[in-house]
Amino acid sequence: MGIYLIKRVLAIIPIILCLSFLAFVLINLRTSDPAEIALRVNQMTPTEDMVNAMRSTLGLDQPYFVRYFSWISKSIQGDFGESYVTHRPVAEHIATALPSTLQLAAVALLIIIVCSVVVGVLCALYEGSVGDKLMRAFVFLSAAMPSFWIGILLIWLFSVKLGWFDTSGMERVSSVILPAVTLSLGFVSTYIRLIRNNMIKNKNENFVLYARVRGLKESRITLKIFINSMQISMTALGMSIPKLIAGTVVVENIFAWPGIGRLCVSAIFNSDFPIIQAYILIMGVMFVICNLVVDMINMMVDPRLRKEM
Amino acid sequence: MTIGKRYGIIIMTFLIMLLTACTSPNNETNNASISKTTNELVFASTKDIRDINPHLYAGEMAAQNIVFESLVVNTADGVKAALAESWDISEDGKTYTFYLRHGVTFTDGEPFNSDAVKMNIDSVVGNIEKNSWLNLVAEIDETIALDEYTFQLTLKNAYYPTLQELGLTRPFRFISPKSFINGTTANGVNGYAGTGPYMLSEHVENQYAIFTENKGYWGDNPKIKSVKWKVMPDHQTILLALEKGEIDLLFGSDGDMIDSDAFKVLSNQGKYSTIISHPVGSRAIVMNSKQPITQDAKVREAFQYAINKEIIADGILNGTEQQADTLLAESVPYANLGLNGYQHDQQKSNDLLAEAGWELNKDGYRYKDNQKLDVTIYYNSDNAQERTISESMQNDLKQVGANLNIVGEEKQAYFDRQKTGEFDLMYSLSWGLPYDPQTYVSSWRVPSHADYQAQLGLDRKEWLDQTITNLMNEQSENERIQMYKDILTYIHEEDIYLPLTFSVTKAVHIQALKGVGFNISQYEIPFEKMYFEQ
Repeated sequence: MGIYLIKRVLAIIPIILCLSFLAFVLINLRTSDPAEIALRVNQMTPTEDMVNAMRSTLGLDQPYFVRYFSWISKSIQGDFGESYVTHRPVAEHIATALPSTLQLAAVALLIIIVCSVVVGVLCALYEGSVGDKLMRAFVFLSAAMPSFWIGILLIWLFSVKLGWFDTSGMERVSSVILPAVTLSLGFVSTYIRLIRNNMIKNKNENFVLYARVRGLKESRITLKIFINSMQISMTALGMSIPKLIAGTVVVENIFAWPGIGRLCVSAIFNSDFPIIQAYILIMGVMFVICNLVVDMINMMVDPRLRKEM
Repeated sequence: MTIGKRYGIIIMTFLIMLLTACTSPNNETNNASISKTTNELVFASTKDIRDINPHLYAGEMAAQNIVFESLVVNTADGVKAALAESWDISEDGKTYTFYLRHGVTFTDGEPFNSDAVKMNIDSVVGNIEKNSWLNLVAEIDETIALDEYTFQLTLKNAYYPTLQELGLTRPFRFISPKSFINGTTANGVNGYAGTGPYMLSEHVENQYAIFTENKGYWGDNPKIKSVKWKVMPDHQTILLALEKGEIDLLFGSDGDMIDSDAFKVLSNQGKYSTIISHPVGSRAIVMNSKQPITQDAKVREAFQYAINKEIIADGILNGTEQQADTLLAESVPYANLGLNGYQHDQQKSNDLLAEAGWELNKDGYRYKDNQKLDVTIYYNSDNAQERTISESMQNDLKQVGANLNIVGEEKQAYFDRQKTGEFDLMYSLSWGLPYDPQTYVSSWRVPSHADYQAQLGLDRKEWLDQTITNLMNEQSENERIQMYKDILTYIHEEDIYLPLTFSVTKAVHIQALKGVGFNISQYEIPFEKMYFEQ
């Protein structure tokens, strides 16, 4: 298994290099002059002198590959350049924004786990009941409704009408609840279905019949069915963590949550390339590493996978 | 009853309770009529204030405006005194002597005097790379602190808009010398000590900023002691926050304002006060005199008659902007010329196109030498309103046999197109007062601007540019009036611009907030004049 792990880690390197190259190339394929963009972003009217000065400041007068290698080598050391808008280090912006997103994602993850486990197990145990049918309808609706709409509805109901929460912002501890619920809804529906369907499949397996025949307690049997049903959900959950972090864009904008999603959206609207490039690279690396970690955990949990390897 | 059924009933009950909460009538949690218990104004903006260094462009102008001041201020009645109590201008118009206000200090305790003025202006002029968009920066020759409260500015030429440009929101505003880094502000500042009615006391990036009253302010202290600038990127959230009573004021044009339909709904509701400013700038279409079809002056004139501006002003802009007959509103200095506009007249438009040789074909479009009367308008795809206006124009032009293609482009691509001149029609928005008319007209000489490119096909373009250059340094007011009359009349008669409306700034606020008005510049928000009803 150690050798396998080393092989997987080494395989990440070319993936990340490709990703970094794509992140750099795609953005630099634009025909517009980045120096002029960097000026216009602050509502300055660029004159030729200003554009030339900015081009030199940003190192845009260097050849393409020189710029790429300079960028990638600095990125490895955590220096992603400076924002076109604020002229402050991109790393500083990301370091400021990332904790907010991690906080939001963590609360959302907790909601996802608690809701989907409780509801998924209950739906599997009471398969076909009125409750099960209602939950499936809810799952269908919440998967179909776009998160920006759900977010606005939740603000209207829980903040404006009931007055329980602030409409937006991060000023109170309770401010995280509405955005976390909005963020989690899209995932909760997926996991309820996954857990429910896997448990229903597993509860008809021979080992369940055998356990009952042996006289084991029903609660213990349910627990075992649940654990055996978790493999796919765990894999999906592992990949959902980076998705949660990268997917906060809409929610952070609606709820004025000062996280990395909002940073990315502002960077896109402002054509703030250094931030966009850094965002793509960091998110890509996060996905790749999470994928590896999830695979490793699955292997540790499921002996069948270790045998296959 | 089975557990499943019980479970289902519990869920149904919860849903019914939720729906009941949704439909409860007239609950008092919306606070339009509530009186404020705190003397803090909460203002919502889609953008953070960022870096409000007054000499650079990395921050929100409305925030810079309440913290930093200049020697003079632009008002509806012209240039007025601010940190300079009075001034003299030499006969040749090249030397300005300012007599500074005594007893003013920056919020860090540093005294405001002519040394501070010199240091600030030198820093701006020294950073010509960032500031070359403003003609005054290149015109400044020398700055001298004659004595503690007398400051002299000498120019290379007698640049007439000197005072107006000194009074702009940026860059000629004053920050405390202690806030400079290594003798300059070009690389940032280490504080934001100004002389204005407010000071920045707290800033949580991308969340909010709090401005509190400058207790040592030399002028009238603001009645509202604290302004909280809350960042809310989404307009729907802003509306919900307004309804909840979390925010008191929305202010601005375009990006920072809710769309005109939402504005109309709020106006009709009557729960909030909605106000619209005087015309601040010009919203016009510029037609390219170098392109094959629009180079024909008769075609341009025909388009003037073809466009129904009433639909645009009333239907699309919901009556918030008045129709424009001329490029610049008559309230703009030097633009009160009594020029006649064009009334919507399809028949006249048809006649002119026929005279120009464009014959109507069976397909409903006009052709000349086998070429279809096909023109393209480009707009910035960030601006959904411009798309709607273009569609209205497309319909109008179709009625007279012209086909208008509409192309929305990403912002920078749109600006690139302005530089190349590869367009038939484009939007031209002036910056509004106090930049109009001099900054707008001055930019017509800059090749990277759509205005320059569109005017390039005119017979007298060279004369036009030279006259603009001359009038910037013209000392005699009468001569200047004549020169503006000449160039604006020429542009009007050549039909290069199709004026649509005059843009406005809008504000929405709770009824308890009073004194909400507009400065001459659309980029400033006069928080210092507002107050809460007791």
